[in-house]
Amino acid sequence: MIILLDIITTAAILFIVAAGLLAIFGVLKIINFAHGAWLTVGGYCTVVTTAWGISPWFALPFAFIVGAALGALTELFIVRPLYRRPLDAILATWGLSIVIGQLITLWFGRDMQMVPNLLSGTIEFFGVSYSVYRLFTVVAALVIGLAFAFLLDGTRLGLSARAVIMNETLARALGIDTAKVRLATFMIGTGLAGLAGVLLTPLTSVDPNMGVGWLIGAFMLVMVAGSSFGSLALACLVFGGAQVLVSTFVSPIFGSITVALLCALVLRVSPKGFARE
Amino acid sequence: MSDAALRRLNLRATLLAILGAGALLAVIFGPAVFDRFTINVLTRSMIYAMLAVTVDLLWGFTGVLTFGQAAFFGLGAYATAMVLTHIGASPALMVLAFVLAFLVPLLVGLIVGWLSFGYKATPLYATVISLVVPIVITQLAFSGGHWTGSSSGLVGYGTLPLSLKGYFRLSGICLLIVATAAFIFVRSDAGKILVAIRDNEARCAYLGLNPERIKILLTTVLAGVAGIAGFLFANATGVVAPENTGFVFGTELVIWTALGGRGTIIGPIFGTIGIDYLSATLSGELPFLWNLIIGALFVIMIILLPNGLAALVDRFLPGGKRSQASGAAAIFGNEAASAEGSFKEKPLLQVKDLSKSYGSLNVLKGLDLDVRPGELVSLVGPNGAGKTTVMRCLSDGTEMTGGTIVMADRNVAGLTPNEIVALGVGRKFQVASVFDSLSVADCLRLARAKRLSPSPLRRSSELDLPPAAADILKLTGLDRLLDQPVSLLSHGMKQSLELAMVVTLEPRLILLDEPTAGLTKTERTTIGNILQKLTRELGLAIILVEHDLDFVRQISSRIVVLHQGRLVLDGTVEDVINSDVVKSVYSGGAHV
Repeated sequence: MIILLDIITTAAILFIVAAGLLAIFGVLKIINFAHGAWLTVGGYCTVVTTAWGISPWFALPFAFIVGAALGALTELFIVRPLYRRPLDAILATWGLSIVIGQLITLWFGRDMQMVPNLLSGTIEFFGVSYSVYRLFTVVAALVIGLAFAFLLDGTRLGLSARAVIMNETLARALGIDTAKVRLATFMIGTGLAGLAGVLLTPLTSVDPNMGVGWLIGAFMLVMVAGSSFGSLALACLVFGGAQVLVSTFVSPIFGSITVALLCALVLRVSPKGFARE
Repeated sequence: MSDAALRRLNLRATLLAILGAGALLAVIFGPAVFDRFTINVLTRSMIYAMLAVTVDLLWGFTGVLTFGQAAFFGLGAYATAMVLTHIGASPALMVLAFVLAFLVPLLVGLIVGWLSFGYKATPLYATVISLVVPIVITQLAFSGGHWTGSSSGLVGYGTLPLSLKGYFRLSGICLLIVATAAFIFVRSDAGKILVAIRDNEARCAYLGLNPERIKILLTTVLAGVAGIAGFLFANATGVVAPENTGFVFGTELVIWTALGGRGTIIGPIFGTIGIDYLSATLSGELPFLWNLIIGALFVIMIILLPNGLAALVDRFLPGGKRSQASGAAAIFGNEAASAEGSFKEKPLLQVKDLSKSYGSLNVLKGLDLDVRPGELVSLVGPNGAGKTTVMRCLSDGTEMTGGTIVMADRNVAGLTPNEIVALGVGRKFQVASVFDSLSVADCLRLARAKRLSPSPLRRSSELDLPPAAADILKLTGLDRLLDQPVSLLSHGMKQSLELAMVVTLEPRLILLDEPTAGLTKTERTTIGNILQKLTRELGLAIILVEHDLDFVRQISSRIVVLHQGRLVLDGTVEDVINSDVVKSVYSGGAHV
C-alpha cells in the first residue's frame, strides 16, 4: 500500500515540477534550461513570505506572479532572439540559471533556509499512516492538470496556443498574434515553475541550487511527453513508478537515475516518445 | 586567387606559426617564471582546454551540442585512479592505467554514439543522451563505495614521478599536440565533412556519405581523447571526485568553448585557459560575483555573438571570412566510366505497386514504373499529385509503405539514402541543398568524397571531377567562382552547383525535383541542354519533376502523369500532350 501511495505521489510531484517546462516546450519548442532556477525562485518566495510573517500559502500566488514576471523579461530579452536556434536557447537559458542562482546566493546567502511546512503530520489512509502533504501533492497535480485542460480547450488563448503548436505559419497567416501567444505561454510556464518551487519546499531543502537536481528529470519527462499534458501524466506515472520501485528494491542511488535512463531508452526506440501525432 | 588574397592568407599562416611557437616557448619556459599557484592552475586549465577542443569539434564544427565530454573525462580519470589505488602504481600498472583510461571511454563513447545517432534521430536527442551519460557516471561514482571512494572520491594514490613543473610541461605539450592535430584535421579535405554535416546533414547522406557513422566515429575517438585528458588530470592533481565527471562540468566546458569561439580551434583553448585561470584567481575575492559575470557574459554572447570572441578577433584580422574557402582549384575532367551500352535493354529502375500512406491518408497508390538507361522521364501532375513523394521513396528505402522498388537489380526496401546513392542514384532537391559555409570547390570535393576517400591531413588544391560535371561548371560559369563561399552565390548558381554535385557522384539515375524553379529563361535552357546531354550521350537515366510543360516537352523522352497518387498516363511526349486526360487533370475536372 505504501508503495502504491509512493508511486502516485511521486508521479504527482514529477508532474507538478515538469508542467511548466512542458507548457513552454509544447508551444514554443524551446527548452527552458533555467527551469531549475525558477523552481529555486519559487522556493525563495516562501522564504520571503515567511520573513513577512504571513502564511506560506500566500507564497503560491506570490511565486506564480514573480515567476511569470521574470518569465516575461526572459522571453522578451533572451528567448525571443533565439527561436530559430533552439540549441542556443538551451545554452542561453542555462546561462540565465547561473545568473539567477548567483543573484539568490548574493541576496540570501548560500545556506539552507528554513521555511514552515504548508501541511504537516500524517493521516490514516487504508490502514497505513501517510504524510498529509504528499497526498496533497496529488490534489495539486490534479488542479494544475485540470486548469491546463480548461486553459487549452476552453479559452481563446488555448485555442491560439493549439493553433501555434500545429502550424505556426498558418496561425500567423490567420491573424493570430503569435508573439503574444509565445509571451503568454512562456509566462504561464515560468509562473507554474515558481508555483512548483513553493510546492517543493516541504520535500526538499531550500538552497540556491535546489532546482538544478529536478531539472534533468523534468527535462527527460517532457522530451518523452512531447506537447501533451495527458502523455506527461502517463510518463510521470510510468517513470515515477519505476523510480519508486528501483529505489525501494534495488538502491536509492539507482532510483535517482531511473527516470533519465528509461526516458533516454524510450526515446531511442520511439523518437516521439508517448506523444501521439 | 589574387595576389592580395594570397598575401592575406600568408600573413594569417605566419601569425599562426608565431602563435604556435610562442605557445611552445610558454610551455617550456613558463614554469621558470610563474609562481607555484599559477603553475598549478594553468596545468589544470590546459587539461581542460584539451577537453574544450573536443567539445568544439563536436559542437562547433559538427553541430552536435554535447555535455557528455565531462563523463568521458571522468571515466578516464576514475579508471586511472582506480588502477593506481587498488592495484598499484608500478610502471607497468601505470601503462595499464593509461591504456584503460583511453579504452574505457572509447568503448563507452562507441555505445553512446550508437545510441545518439540513429537514422532520423533528432539533433536534440544526441544532446539528451549527452546529459544522461554524465549523470549516470556520477551516480555510479557515488555508489561505488570503496572502489570509487563515493562522494569524497579517490586521493593519495601513486602518480607519475613528475614535479609540478614537469606536469605543467606535459599538459602543455599534450594540449599543443591535440590542438595541432585538430587544426590539421579541420582544414583537411576529410575535416570539411564535419562542417558539411553541421550545415546540411541530409545533403551529406544524399552524397553517399554516412553522417551517422561519421558522428559515431567522431564521438568514439573524442571520448578516447577525453579519457587521456582524464589520465593526465588524475596524475597531475592526485585527486578524482564525482564532480569531475558531472553534468555541471559538462556545461562549463560548453560555456568556455562558446565564450572562446565555437568553430575555431584557438578560441576554445584561450576561452578555457583564460576563464579557468581568472576563476581560480578571482573566486577568492568575489566568489559569487565572478560566476554571475561569467553567466551573464555567456547569455549575452550566445544571443549577440554566437561565434564567440574568436569571431570578433577574426573580423579584425587579415584574411577574415575567406579563410573557410580553400585555395584555387584546377579542374581535372577524369575519364570516368560513362554509358554502359549493354544495359540499354534492361530497366535500370523497376517500381512495382509502390504505395505510401501517412496513417489513413494514401499519398501514393499502386504505382508501376520502369526506367531504362538513356531515358529522360518527366513526372508531371498538379500539386499534391504525389510527385515529390515518389522522389522521396525512390531515394530513401525507409519511406515506402508498400510495393517494391528495384534499382540495378537490388531491392531498396529499408535502405538509407547513402546506401541508395551507392547503387547509383543521385537526387537533387526542390530547394537548392548545398553547404553554405563551404566554398564551391569544397562542395564538389565532398560530392567526390565517397569515391576518393579524402585525406584527413592534406588539403588538396585540385578538383577531380567527371567530365559531365566539369561541363556543367563551364556552361554555368561556376568554374570561375570555385573559391567563392556558397553563401554568396545566387539562387540559380546554387541550383546549378547542386546539379553539378549530383552529377559528380557519377550516378546512373538522377532524380531532379524542379531543377529550373525560379531560374531565368537562359539558365533554364542551359540546364535543359545539360540534361539532354547526360541522357543521350552518356546514357544516364533521369527522372524529372517539373511544372513547366514547355520545358518538359522539349527535353523529355517519356512523360508520366500522376494524379491523386495514381499513375494515370505513361507515354511518349506526343501521346501525353495530346491526351484528354492531361487536359482534364490540369483543368481540375478529372474523374479517374
